Amino acid sequence: MIRTGSRLRTALVYVLMTAALAVSVVLTIRIGSSQIPVRDVYGILIDQLGALLHGQAVGPGRWPNAQFQIVWNIRLPRVLFGMLCGMGLSLSGAAMQALVLNPIADPYILGISSGASAGAAWALLMPLPWFTGQFQVSLTAMLGAMFASACVYTIARLGGGGQIRPVALLLAGTSINAVMSAITSFLIFLAKSPESIAAVYNWQMGSIAVAQWSSLKLPFVGTALGFAVFTAAGRPFNMLMMGDEDALAMGVPVKGFRTIMFAICSLIVACMVSITGIIGFVGLIVPHVARMLSGTSDNRVIFPQSALLGGTFLIWCDAGARGLFGGAELPLGMITAFLGAPFFLYLLVQKKYGGGRA
Amino acid sequence: MRISFQNISVRLGRRKILDGVNLETVPGQITGIVGPNGSGKSTLIKTLFGIVPKRSGDIILDGIPLSSLTRKQVASQVGYVGQDAACVFDFSVREVVEMALYHQNGDGRRAVDRALADLKIADLAQNSILTLSGGERKMVFLARAVAQGANAIVLDEPTNHLDIHHQLFILDYLKRSGKTILIVLHDLNIAAMYCDWLYAMKDGRIVDQGAPRNLLTPDFIQDIYNVDVGVMTDEAGALRIHFQPGKI
Repeated sequence: MIRTGSRLRTALVYVLMTAALAVSVVLTIRIGSSQIPVRDVYGILIDQLGALLHGQAVGPGRWPNAQFQIVWNIRLPRVLFGMLCGMGLSLSGAAMQALVLNPIADPYILGISSGASAGAAWALLMPLPWFTGQFQVSLTAMLGAMFASACVYTIARLGGGGQIRPVALLLAGTSINAVMSAITSFLIFLAKSPESIAAVYNWQMGSIAVAQWSSLKLPFVGTALGFAVFTAAGRPFNMLMMGDEDALAMGVPVKGFRTIMFAICSLIVACMVSITGIIGFVGLIVPHVARMLSGTSDNRVIFPQSALLGGTFLIWCDAGARGLFGGAELPLGMITAFLGAPFFLYLLVQKKYGGGRA
Repeated sequence: MRISFQNISVRLGRRKILDGVNLETVPGQITGIVGPNGSGKSTLIKTLFGIVPKRSGDIILDGIPLSSLTRKQVASQVGYVGQDAACVFDFSVREVVEMALYHQNGDGRRAVDRALADLKIADLAQNSILTLSGGERKMVFLARAVAQGANAIVLDEPTNHLDIHHQLFILDYLKRSGKTILIVLHDLNIAAMYCDWLYAMKDGRIVDQGAPRNLLTPDFIQDIYNVDVGVMTDEAGALRIHFQPGKI
């Protein structure tokens, strides 16, 4: 397959993806149980951004207070939260596929999500007295995710005689995934209250409905860290995708690099899932769609484009979750699979894409 | 570039893979390593890049111990072409060759263009690596090692999967390059034609070394490979090894 005009194509894809993300933010804010005209959404956003730029306090101004509250304090933080989660999960997916040299890897393949599930299930079914409510769930989910990643890393290292081989990471991840899922099932088995069991199932289906301005910090830090580090390390990531031998011979300190990047991936995913629950499919398909659209696997391009694409994809999925059935919210994880899988399959057939090939 | 392996030992569990191997390349010449499968040839050259960790011994590059150099410094001095490269993800040929510039700070596009032209794969530059034949991929990985700008290139059976045209093309290119070449070879006729000096390995040890004409005798090949051969010099003065089917 010959690829022509790849630089022009890459630049064009960047422009289109950035524009799509910006337009999507405005368009999806209008979607929900209370529909707001796009012109009003745009006006409220411009007024508030203008106020912020001039150092003034935000407020309804010329807009009805209810409309202002929905747009500025309810929908916008939720859309931004979805955008950051989509970006973070997609970045982690692209990184994980390179780290384990496997195009079907995603942020959850290494047991991180099932670790978070076990942690969240613990807090939902057997709450500890020290913290309360959502904070405790997020905290235990994050601890569960980090504990699972630490187990996977340690087992892979012991099994590889000190080396961190891609296949050892995959096998250790699959095993820890099974163990953590078994722990979650056991906790559910022990549970007495049907309400708490339902809460665990809801958590596992993913949602960003809890998003507020104050909850943006964690996903922002995780996504910004991943974006900066992964994009800067695009070249060694590329070499890792040619195999460990080649990467070592070209000067990449493979073991240290893989360890640090694995830790960052785990941290980003833990930041997201501790608040949102499990949102599957995003980290798996978005990097592949970015590769198909840009026509390259060069991670210096794929990381930023996965972030733009993942952010756009998740805010539309969330808009679908809150808008498709009026007042009733659908689980976000279900929407990502329903919308993502057919689109991915369409590209797979249309572009004759086979695994990592663009 | 003089690459010196001094008393290298490698173990895999309790098994000795390499046992006190000493080997030295000659600057600007082709040094070959021959020997039966499992004799430790590939393992030895992999110790140079830390692909296989050595248990003891030293590797010296132009008088400087390898342990005092960073990985990028080693990559700037020695290129590597392995037996196989994982091609799971799609990269263009140019993108693969540009990976050679990782250890450099400047713009190396000219080095990449030159390497692509020298290996006669410039017309494949925009092609996907996944669509190339095994032989074409080998040329791409050699171009990447060349674009690294190193004075030495280490190659592990580079002629595997190649037709005779590409085998001769690669070895002619290496011969003309003036670089220090350390090469693992299975084909003894190719080794006799192109190598200036040969090391023979068996059971993780160097068993002998010498110029091909002196080393590759029928008795020696019988000892190393357990096959009967005839060795003669042709009209052009080149060494020719004739294998005798049915005599194993």
